[in-house]
Amino acid sequence: MAERAWIRGAQRGSVADLERLFREHWPRAYRAAHLVTGDAAAAEDIAQEAFLAAVRNLDRFDRSRPFAPWLHRIVVNRAIDWTRARKLRAEVELGDWLPGPPAPELDGSTLRHIAELPPEHRAVVVLRYVLEYTPGEIAKLLDLPRGTVNSRLRRGLDRMKEEVE
Amino acid sequence: MRDAERRAWEVVKRAYEERTPARAARRPGRRLVLAVVVVLGALAAAVLSPPGRAVFHRVREAVGIQQAEPALFSLPAPGRLLVVSAEHGGVWLVHDNGLKRRLGAYDDAQWSPHGRFVIATRGDELIALDVDHGVRWSLARRGAVWPRWEGTRVDTRIAYLTPKGLRVVAGDGTGDHLLDRYAADVPAAWDPARLHTVAYFTGGAIVLREADSRRLVWRAPIRVTPSALEWSSDGRYLAVTAQHRVIVFDAGGHLRRTVSSLGSELIDVAFRPRTHRLAVSVRLQRRSEVRLVDIDHAVRARLLFAGPGIFGDIAWSPDGGTLLVAWPTADQWLFLHGSRVRAVANIKEQFPRADHQGPLLELAGRWCCSSLGSRDAVGR
Repeated sequence: MAERAWIRGAQRGSVADLERLFREHWPRAYRAAHLVTGDAAAAEDIAQEAFLAAVRNLDRFDRSRPFAPWLHRIVVNRAIDWTRARKLRAEVELGDWLPGPPAPELDGSTLRHIAELPPEHRAVVVLRYVLEYTPGEIAKLLDLPRGTVNSRLRRGLDRMKEEVE
Repeated sequence: MRDAERRAWEVVKRAYEERTPARAARRPGRRLVLAVVVVLGALAAAVLSPPGRAVFHRVREAVGIQQAEPALFSLPAPGRLLVVSAEHGGVWLVHDNGLKRRLGAYDDAQWSPHGRFVIATRGDELIALDVDHGVRWSLARRGAVWPRWEGTRVDTRIAYLTPKGLRVVAGDGTGDHLLDRYAADVPAAWDPARLHTVAYFTGGAIVLREADSRRLVWRAPIRVTPSALEWSSDGRYLAVTAQHRVIVFDAGGHLRRTVSSLGSELIDVAFRPRTHRLAVSVRLQRRSEVRLVDIDHAVRARLLFAGPGIFGDIAWSPDGGTLLVAWPTADQWLFLHGSRVRAVANIKEQFPRADHQGPLLELAGRWCCSSLGSRDAVGR
C-alpha cells in the first residue's frame, strides 16, 4: 500500500514521501477542521498543527496502522477545543469574527446548519458524514462510548432537520 | 484552500527538516538547520534529582538549531541594532557588517526617528547620544525610563516616563514638560501619522494626545493593563499588548479587533514595517511560538517558528524582510526570512557583562534604519 511506503520513506528522511503523505491527507484534515470550527484561518492552523504533531511523532508511528484516523483524531479534538475556547473569548462579543469561505463540497445552508450545532455534535457529524467514519471508528477516535456517538449523531441530525424545516 | 495548503506545507516541511530523525541520512553540505527535539515530559522527571539536573542541563544545552553560526558575523539585512543588556549590563551597537561595540553603561536606549542618534537612560538621567561622537546633551530627571523619540528631520520630540508621570522634551533637550501626571508605567508610542502626537495608557484607557498643545485626540477605555503599545508604520493601527491578548485600534481610536492568545502568555509583538501584519511571540506551557497575524484579514495567523523553552524579544529588520527572534533557552538568535531560518549561537558570550552574569538582552524596536539619517533633529 502506497501510504505505508510513504510513511516508511518519511521516517527515513524522504521529503518527497512526506509531501505525498501531506498532499494526500491535507484536504480532508483541513475540511474537517473547517467544518467543526467554521473558520478558515483556524482550520489552517489546526490542520497544520496536526501535521506538525505527525512530524514530531513520525519515528514512533506504527506503519501497520492507518494514518488518517490518527491525524483526524488530532484535528477534530483540537477543533473542538478551539471552538469551545472561542466561546469564552471577547472576539465574539466584539463582533470581530468573520467566517471563512465555505468548504467546496457542501452548500451554504448545510454548512450553516452544521455550524449551529454544539461543537461535540458538530465533530461527530463531520466525522460520520464528511469523513465517512463508522460510529465505531468515531468512538475510538474521540475516546467516547459508542452509545454517546450514536446519540450525538442522532441529536445532531435531528437538530439540523428542525432547522431545515 | 490552495494557499492554506501551500503555507502549511512550507511549515511542515521546515519542521521535518529541522527535526532529528532517527534514521535519516543527512545530505552533505546542505545548509538546512537541524533542531533538537526535546522530550519535555522526560525533562520534568529528570530535574527532580541531582543526576537528573545534569541530564536536564545537557538536554537544555542541546536545545536550539544545530549548525548555527558560532558568532554574529553580520546582520542579514541592512541596518543597525541596539542591544540593551538589562539590569546594568549596558547598551551595545551592532552594525550590519558584524561590527559590535558597547556604547556605555546605560539602562535603556532607543533610536532617534532616522537612526542618527540614540536616546538613552541611566539612573536619573536622560541622555541624547551621537553614536559616533558621544553625548550631545543630558537631562537630569528622577527615575526617567522608556524614552521614545519621534519627529521629522528638523523637529523632534522625546516622550519618557518618570514616577511622576509622562513627560515630553524636544530633540535638543529643551522645552521639557509634564504631559500627564497619571500616565501608567507603560512605554508611550508616537503616532507615525500625526506629528508630535503620542499614545499612552492612563486612567484605564488608551489616550492619544498632542504633545505640544496637550489636546486630547481620542480616549479608548480598555479593561486590561497593557504592557506595550505599537503603531503600524503608516499609523493606521495601534496594537495594545496585554498579558493574554492584543487589542488593535484604528487611527480614530475605534476598536478594530482583538487577537487572543487563548491563555498563553504574550511576550512581544511587532508590526512588520510597511504592512499590517503583526508578529506575535507567545509562550505556551512547554514551548514558544512566533505567529504572523494579518490585521486586515480577521483571525488569519500563520505559524512562523516554534521551539521548546522560551523566546525573548522580536524585532523586524528595517526592510521588513527578516524577523529576529531571541531564543534565550537555546542561547541563540534566529533570523527568519521567508521559509529560511538562520541561527546564531553563543549569544550570551558575545554580549558579556563585567560581572560575568548571563545577560538578559532586549531588542524590541531597536533594529533601525538602513541608511544613516544625517539630519535628525537634535536641534528642534
